Amino acid sequence: MRRHFDTLAARTVLLLLIGIGLVHVASLYAYQHALTNEVTRANDARLAERMLTIRRSVMRLMPAEREAAAHELSGGPLEAHWSAADKAAPGGAGAGDWAGLAQQLATQGADLPPQDIILGAQDSHLALVSLRLPDGTWLNLTAFATQSAPQSQHGTVLSTSLMALGVVLVSVLVVGWLTRPLRAVAQAARALYAQADRVSLPESGPREVRDVAQAFNEMQDRIAKLIDTRTQTLAAVSHDLKTPLTRLRLRAESVADARVASAMAGDIREMERMLDQTLQHLRGERDDEAARPLELGALLQTLVDEAQDAGGTASLEAPPGVILLGRPLALKRAFANLIDNAIKYGGEARLRVTQEASGIVVEISDSGPGIPATQREAVFDPFVRLEASRSKETGGFGLGLAIARAAIAAQGGTITLLDAPGGGLLVQVSLPNPSKLAA
Amino acid sequence: MSQAPSQPRVLVVDDEAELRGLVMGFLQGNGLAASGVRDGVEMLAALAREAFDLVVLDLMLPGEDGLSLLRRLRAHSALPVILLTAKGEETDRIVGLELGADDYLAKPFNPRELLARIRAVLRRGAAMESTPHEAQGFAFAGWRLDPLRRELFSPEGVLVDLSAGEYDLLLALLEAPNRILTREQLLDAARGREAAPFDRAIDVQMSRLRRKIEPGENAPEMVKTVRGAGYMFLPKVTRA
Repeated sequence: MRRHFDTLAARTVLLLLIGIGLVHVASLYAYQHALTNEVTRANDARLAERMLTIRRSVMRLMPAEREAAAHELSGGPLEAHWSAADKAAPGGAGAGDWAGLAQQLATQGADLPPQDIILGAQDSHLALVSLRLPDGTWLNLTAFATQSAPQSQHGTVLSTSLMALGVVLVSVLVVGWLTRPLRAVAQAARALYAQADRVSLPESGPREVRDVAQAFNEMQDRIAKLIDTRTQTLAAVSHDLKTPLTRLRLRAESVADARVASAMAGDIREMERMLDQTLQHLRGERDDEAARPLELGALLQTLVDEAQDAGGTASLEAPPGVILLGRPLALKRAFANLIDNAIKYGGEARLRVTQEASGIVVEISDSGPGIPATQREAVFDPFVRLEASRSKETGGFGLGLAIARAAIAAQGGTITLLDAPGGGLLVQVSLPNPSKLAA
Repeated sequence: MSQAPSQPRVLVVDDEAELRGLVMGFLQGNGLAASGVRDGVEMLAALAREAFDLVVLDLMLPGEDGLSLLRRLRAHSALPVILLTAKGEETDRIVGLELGADDYLAKPFNPRELLARIRAVLRRGAAMESTPHEAQGFAFAGWRLDPLRRELFSPEGVLVDLSAGEYDLLLALLEAPNRILTREQLLDAARGREAAPFDRAIDVQMSRLRRKIEPGENAPEMVKTVRGAGYMFLPKVTRA
């Protein structure tokens, strides 16, 4: 039921059809009932009239001819006999069904005293009526109930079906038209975070829909304001921290103990990295860097060299001339984060670039413990780190993968976490070939 | 480090007194004569009063901001300027360089890198006294180097990423083509980079640079190693 009548249109049509059906059955019943009553009344009146007519005819004849005449006048639902005594016993099992006839007899035979009319019901189908003649003899009539033949109802069924069909057609159209703004609401709600720009809903349509659109727009504004405020606050804090950090660096220069100086420099670098990552993350897709053709090998080589200079183990295996259409700075940040992670958590970063017709693939593998399959999605969430042991010593902010994924996604690529063949984590970055983007 | 008879004179413009003091102290400790002022008004007054060889200019200043001051300065002077920015915004950097800044550093900067940049700018200024100050591009063997954005493009027009050290090295080579540059000269050009505290720095950087501009077996040789002397840049270099 739920599956089949899931949409508003389907439910409306269903409700309308049930409604029409019920109303129709009820009115049909009422109509039939009234019709039956009318027909019965007419039958009773005719029957009573015939009975009284037979009585009048028989009454004028000689007693010897009466029985024959009564027989002559019989026919249809009526059989008449003449006798000296009354045959009918008043009341009987089906008296209720014959009340109509009794009443008609009383009305039409108003000239007769009530005791001259005796109606005895044998059952609902058969009744005996005795009418007294002026000379004290009786006319006994047997009446069979006539079935009021039900009329053919084809016409009714046809008109109902046509009406139902019309209702279905009109309601599908009307409901479709009415729910269009609702579909726009759903679309706008989905686009709320996917797009940098807000989509204001047109506040039009029926009042309820206008209300929904207005409420949605207000909610959207509130959310945007909230995010903006938080973003600005965090950005301002991050930004303001840069000056004291610069001072700290200058002060570290005058520290005589080389070990202390180098430890301080390391701390400062780490703080800087956190600030940079926070700002990058906050900036997100609002990065206005333009996409340009770039040599992927050279870009990765710079990062690998830098990682080596910083004391890490990193290698690159890339064919020359792999060209990508992308934002150089964003890509560099993304790959730098992935290489950093590989070295920090996996001891080394081995990069391998392959280009095929389907796209460019950069694989970054390490020799660490890897990440359990169940947690691979979670590590992309900002500020999520797997367990304390993974982060205590190495620092970092849990933003690296989130930033990398956002940057790669903005280039039309994907990041997948896999198991490296020899153990460890394999990060697979797939990027589209430039021709596809340039076209 | 011995103090030269005439120390280069650097003017530090930053409204943050403590930071300004620290920068001045650091520069003085490294053989430069440094003075400091807190805003644009004081900067213009100081420049009118005495001669400086270089200005370290913070972008965010009370009153007139750094970009505006730079534009004013460039209207009548080719005095070398290094911008300091806390924003790290790409657009500010480009605008600053287009307005004629010689270099820029994002806060929080490494003091040694600031020193290296100052020396590089001073040396370049001395080498090209006669050339107009506007930033200019270099073209060689189909390649193009854009000093504003520090970007290198291959003959196919594809961006080839360079590390800061590789860029400095290439720039030094391009400024003196067909001349033998000693390791000391090149080291001077590329020194101060945070991640290069080793002696073989130049040879390592050079091999990295060559890997990028001489890709593959068949690529034409651009940098010639002169045994016992240094390196020489072979292609014809034009400025565009």
